[in-house]
Amino acid sequence: MIPAARWLLLAALPACALAQVPVTTPAGGYAGSNACKTCHADVWSNFYKNPHYKSVAAGDLPPSGAGCESCHGPGEAHIAARGGKATIPRAFSVIPPAKVLDACLRCHARDFQKANIRRSEHTLADVACTACHSIHHSPTPRFLLARKQTDLCYGCHAGIRAQFEMPSKHRVNEGFMECSDCHNPHGAFAPSWRMSDHPRMVDQALNHEEPCLKCHVDKRGPFVYEHPPVRIEGCEVCHFPHGSTNERLLRRPVVFTLCLGCHNGGAAGTRNNGVPIATAPHNLLDPRYQRCTTCHVRIHGSNADETFLR
Amino acid sequence: MTAIFTRCCLIFAALGALRAQQVIAPTPEPVGVARGGDFANYNLVDSVEAGYRWRLAGGSLDTYRSDVNYGDGIRLLAANFSLNSKDGHGRWFDEIVFSGSGLGNDPYQSAALRIQKNRLYRYDMLWREDDYFNAGLLISGGEHLMDTTRGLQDHDFTLFPQSHLQVDLGFSRNSQSGPALSTVQVFDSQSAAFPVFENVKQQWNEYRVGILADWAGLRFIARHTWDFYKDDSSYGLNGATVAGTPPDPTVLTQFQRAAPNHGSNPGWFGNIYGSRKHWALNARLTYNIGNGGFVLNQLTAGLNRLGAADNQQIVVTGDAQRPVVVGDVSFSLFPTSRLSLVSNTAVHDTRIDGDSYFTQFDNGTGSSTTLNFKFLGVRTISNTAELNYRFNPWFSVYAGFTASARQIRLLEAFAFPAVTGSAVRYPYQQDSRLNAGDFGLRLRPFRPLTINLEGEAGHADHPLTPISDRNYHTLGGRIQYRTRKLQLSTGYRELYNENAPLSFTTYSSRSRQYNAAASFSLQDWLTFDASYSKLHLDTVGGLAFFAGVPSDQLQTGYDSIYISNIHAANAGLRFALHSRAALYLGYTITRDTGDGRAAAVPPGISDPAGALLASVQTFPLTYQSPMARLSIRITPKLRWNAGWQFYGYGELFHLLGVDQNFQAHTGYTSLLWSF
Repeated sequence: MIPAARWLLLAALPACALAQVPVTTPAGGYAGSNACKTCHADVWSNFYKNPHYKSVAAGDLPPSGAGCESCHGPGEAHIAARGGKATIPRAFSVIPPAKVLDACLRCHARDFQKANIRRSEHTLADVACTACHSIHHSPTPRFLLARKQTDLCYGCHAGIRAQFEMPSKHRVNEGFMECSDCHNPHGAFAPSWRMSDHPRMVDQALNHEEPCLKCHVDKRGPFVYEHPPVRIEGCEVCHFPHGSTNERLLRRPVVFTLCLGCHNGGAAGTRNNGVPIATAPHNLLDPRYQRCTTCHVRIHGSNADETFLR
Repeated sequence: MTAIFTRCCLIFAALGALRAQQVIAPTPEPVGVARGGDFANYNLVDSVEAGYRWRLAGGSLDTYRSDVNYGDGIRLLAANFSLNSKDGHGRWFDEIVFSGSGLGNDPYQSAALRIQKNRLYRYDMLWREDDYFNAGLLISGGEHLMDTTRGLQDHDFTLFPQSHLQVDLGFSRNSQSGPALSTVQVFDSQSAAFPVFENVKQQWNEYRVGILADWAGLRFIARHTWDFYKDDSSYGLNGATVAGTPPDPTVLTQFQRAAPNHGSNPGWFGNIYGSRKHWALNARLTYNIGNGGFVLNQLTAGLNRLGAADNQQIVVTGDAQRPVVVGDVSFSLFPTSRLSLVSNTAVHDTRIDGDSYFTQFDNGTGSSTTLNFKFLGVRTISNTAELNYRFNPWFSVYAGFTASARQIRLLEAFAFPAVTGSAVRYPYQQDSRLNAGDFGLRLRPFRPLTINLEGEAGHADHPLTPISDRNYHTLGGRIQYRTRKLQLSTGYRELYNENAPLSFTTYSSRSRQYNAAASFSLQDWLTFDASYSKLHLDTVGGLAFFAGVPSDQLQTGYDSIYISNIHAANAGLRFALHSRAALYLGYTITRDTGDGRAAAVPPGISDPAGALLASVQTFPLTYQSPMARLSIRITPKLRWNAGWQFYGYGELFHLLGVDQNFQAHTGYTSLLWSF
């Protein structure tokens, strides 16, 4: 009897062992996010605040689309090796930028804001997602940025930082604006206000206009008398968009030098005889004619005067 | 692991604190690690910084308000709040995040709010308010003052944000209001301009509704927008005004103007895109039709520049349309993992058209009626082809070519049967082509080091303006060395637009930008960063203008030269004594040295026009801002902060005789409480 019972127990053991295995064993080398918690408790303990936690909360997504392994890839080999970056299929700190981009776009390719990411300047320069985003240790409330947005941008664009420290500038450092108010760091559509494909990272207002017009709506028109460079070349033909030592972000400190740069009768512009020069009474030595916009107050466009006087 | 995590958080926070020191407050010092407290099934984290900001300013207060504008008073300098569901299954919401800064009368205030429930909805709100002060200063002789408030708000609500069918609703508002000074020129084009009061009242509202759908591996977006714009600014004159220029006897005794302008821009937007292993497609089509209705009624009375009594009434009515069609198709191919090919074709068509009736009643010249609407049409077609090839993990190249063709058509005062005598004037068509090629390479010889080089050269055969890109090229490069503790970078970029031979109708500009930056952090108690940039710009263009004493003569022998050499540097040092106290010292300086001349007009220039042009060839100035901030932990959840920041602005030459220099001390003290 005793040997028989022993045999029965021996026979039952494998069945018990099999019973310990979850019914839905992840396939393809996936171990499930629960397995990751054991060693990476620090990440897991705050992961519920992470936007990616939605995939876990959904509860009905496979491991390849939920939690840790949806980004990092199947983790069984990593567990079997008892850790190590070499065993993580997608260890973002070591894989090349192109692979980082591919991994993130598996889900985020559906985001409209990233529709042009494949041809963005950042992609061409190998600036991949993790250059700006910190998935697990982001100090910012939104978008999982690795640092405050302006600091991220300044990290590479030191020259732009210098422009925002000039006397006349958009209030980016003051926190009123962010770089992404005007730029799409993931790539933008071709600008519709210039001939060339550049600049590439400038976002567009109302789906096709210069981003300046998001705020400066009074400059949008349509006007009976358009100032053609404003409409065709864009605001930067007269203004530095970031900052300037000249007031109102102008390219020149005194306005008549800016105006006369085009209004010299040269063979350009939208008239057969070129951009018109100032008429004879405009004696430049008279102080009143040195400040063109004193009279030409509607320089961005007018409905009531073709020379923008009202 | 928790200790490592805490340390990482502190390092990131410290780096953020370091680089964010562009204005003295709010204080970026964290109060411990934001773990928050649990409330039911939610985790709540909150922090509030409230304090007092002060200012002592001397010199040109107008310039200070234009450039800095911080004032005195109690402020809610920063507020952050987050509430997160711990299992992602909250009843009404899973996340609420709020952040605000400058609330309570700072010139730059903002607040952001996100509320979302997984799979069901997401709501985002961004509210901003800016006290916009502009003294006008040089541009218009100080007469275009604006002391307005601009408010911006955006609301976006998404239903089913994680599903294959989403619905988006949105609303944005942009408004500007407040007193301003403008100018008006009356009676004829040669008389003086008079200052008039303007009560700015502008508002723009946009409503959006859209659908996003995933089908067959592609995403489709359709969105309809309605935006409405209205400008109901009013104008007035406070009593009789005499022309400021003595030889001009013009007197303005009466001025009334009403010029309401209301418009709308209904539009459609469609987008389709998808991505596969070997290809990606992205196409959009936008159609907007801008409508505007306007009326201007202006009445002026007084003495004209000949000393005779004059009165004038101008009535303008009309409406305008601006249909705009924009389309883009971008197709990408990835035949191998190393190679990507992208072709992008874009079409942009704008037509600005409408009816305008201009009527002028003048007791000196009788009355006249004309129809004078300008038609402007712009159509641009461009194609860009790009190739990106990765030879190996550390070396890759890209190259591209862009071809654009643009047609501009212009008609002014086109004939209209109802108005006899009017005729087509200035019918004009301009066709222009731009071809440009670009090239770049990337090197990563070992992991922390990256090197990027890029260049572009282009030619446009009929640029719109003399200063537009014609024969231009860019060259640039960047070298970066980045580790967790040390970051070094340097870069160079030049943009030359050189058009020769130089005559009074051509223009050349050269800009060069050099920069270097370093950032260093030692654990969580010492961080340092510094950067230096040199921005060089020199332009030369031909001028044609009238000048002369006593009679005006056409002058074409002068060049317009502008030389700017801007040196910009900043440095910041943050020293923390454990987590008990933190000291930050920072300094930024922007100095334009011009071309090094000691006087606005170099010796040897005697003719008045030459002296005037010479005096505006450079604009040397210095703008600097040192700062210091101390943050002391009182309890684990409470910190006391105090800071000082100085702004000093000094022009070497006072252009056109206007002194705009100022010095200002600003500071604050605050308590930061978090839990």
